[in-house]
Amino acid sequence: MPIPEISPSPAVIRGLVKRRGAVIAVNGLDLTLRVGEVTALLGPNGAGKSTAVALLTGRLAPDKGHVSVFGGDPRKAASRARLGVMLQEAGMPRGLTVAEQIDLFRGYFTSSRPRAELIDLAGLNGLERRRCSALSGGQQRRLQFALAICGRPDLLILDEPTTGLDIEARHPLWSAVRVEAARGAAVLLTTHYLEEAEALADRVMVIDRGRVIADGPPASLKAAAASSAIRCVTRSSDAVLGALTGVFQVSREGARVVLMTRDAKTTVRELLVHDPDLEDLTLAGASLEDAFTRLLADSAGTQHTLENAA
Amino acid sequence: MTTFAHIAGIYAREARAQIVSSFRTPQFLIPSVALPVMFYALFGVALARNEAPHMAQWLLATYAVFAAIGPSIFGFGVYVATERETGIIALKRVSPMPQGAYVAAKLAASVAASVLALTGIAIVAASAGVTMPAWRWAAVFALGAASTAPFALIGMNLGLRLGSQGATAAANFLFMSFSVLGGLWIPLTILPGWMTTLAWALPSYHLGQLSLMLAGMTPAHDVLAHVVLVLAVLAVAAAGAWRGWRRQGA
Repeated sequence: MPIPEISPSPAVIRGLVKRRGAVIAVNGLDLTLRVGEVTALLGPNGAGKSTAVALLTGRLAPDKGHVSVFGGDPRKAASRARLGVMLQEAGMPRGLTVAEQIDLFRGYFTSSRPRAELIDLAGLNGLERRRCSALSGGQQRRLQFALAICGRPDLLILDEPTTGLDIEARHPLWSAVRVEAARGAAVLLTTHYLEEAEALADRVMVIDRGRVIADGPPASLKAAAASSAIRCVTRSSDAVLGALTGVFQVSREGARVVLMTRDAKTTVRELLVHDPDLEDLTLAGASLEDAFTRLLADSAGTQHTLENAA
Repeated sequence: MTTFAHIAGIYAREARAQIVSSFRTPQFLIPSVALPVMFYALFGVALARNEAPHMAQWLLATYAVFAAIGPSIFGFGVYVATERETGIIALKRVSPMPQGAYVAAKLAASVAASVLALTGIAIVAASAGVTMPAWRWAAVFALGAASTAPFALIGMNLGLRLGSQGATAAANFLFMSFSVLGGLWIPLTILPGWMTTLAWALPSYHLGQLSLMLAGMTPAHDVLAHVVLVLAVLAVAAAGAWRGWRRQGA
């Protein structure tokens, strides 16, 4: 679908700083969401994901920097007319039925999806007349998704949408998110689940302590995961180590050097040729989880650029 | 024009949804509607046989204000605290719903509950022999409905600042204090004089006094003072509620 070039970006964050109490929750965050693209914001608890969401949805005001949604301030109701949001924790009013709650939210938008379509997309068939208080946790999450998409949003923000959903319920929701992106919505997704980011995202941003520490397509995160970590104490210089076959990253942990490599066998062989006296050699295969954890552990240093796996 | 119709539509639907939701909740309906009617039948009629219908008419006036306190202070205090904790408020605030619609809808539910309770009280009163000109009935009903506003805003201060447990305790405390010390349950005229002095600090007292005048039970006196003091409470509570609402972040 052709998108006019002149329309402002669905969401832009520039140099964002937000202090919450004594903690700097977001520290110089930059983020641009693009039409039809799913961006996953990945990070541990307290990384600043929810604060970023609160700033994008206008619930918080930035201390420094700039947040805009379709060129407007998200704190203004008019800017939120094209926004659909699913929050991490949102109860539903006990006294209303699913259909009543959906119709209430549909009424917030000048043009909204028919209720039947929403029920289908969110997988709520047969639950229309059920009171919200009688829904299971998973059913409540699906209702919240229906509310998020009822205005055919051009920007869809999903804060941990599948937390509390069982595995079987995740896949239909993923499909529904893909439908939204295919329709042209910019989607921002926060998640703990690497699998979810991999399944849905065109782009993954790893954040820690309020900063982006990695940014790239999910394939690059996978490449990092398909690698191994070699640790040893060696006299070889960083320049030499970086030139070894397979090595794509050199860093230091105290006296030890850490080599990230895509070809552990060859790297170790070459390493021993350069320095036969090296000590404390260990080799660890990095899982996806390890890659993620390593990125976080390293985030005191500079931002990584994840390369595309060849 | 379509924008105005759209916004007005949101207010109307939000109010209807809140009324439907509240009236399906026994925890709201019983203390808000059943309790005032039962208390009135007991204290205003059954136990006041010798003094009826004078006592029935006196307490009709003060119960019109009493009937406004319960749904307002609980409807706002307890339910705002609960909806804040469960994230309903946050979800509404990130939606394009105009924020005033949330408060207006809750107020509509409080007014509906208080008018329903007052209707029950009026039926009991009429059957106990209370007679008033139509305009006095209308005036008492109107004051009763308007009395929801200050208590709703006081309740909102609780709901925005306390957890649901704390808000429930505080709402109960204020509900009892406003009712008893404001002279809504027992006429202050038969209680020690210092209680009337204390009552001047309470909005429930001033509203009760105005209601007694409208019901023709007492001559008009200190009207301006009562009105000004109620409006002062309203203004302070509104400012506090606004600040509390603005402070709500993620």
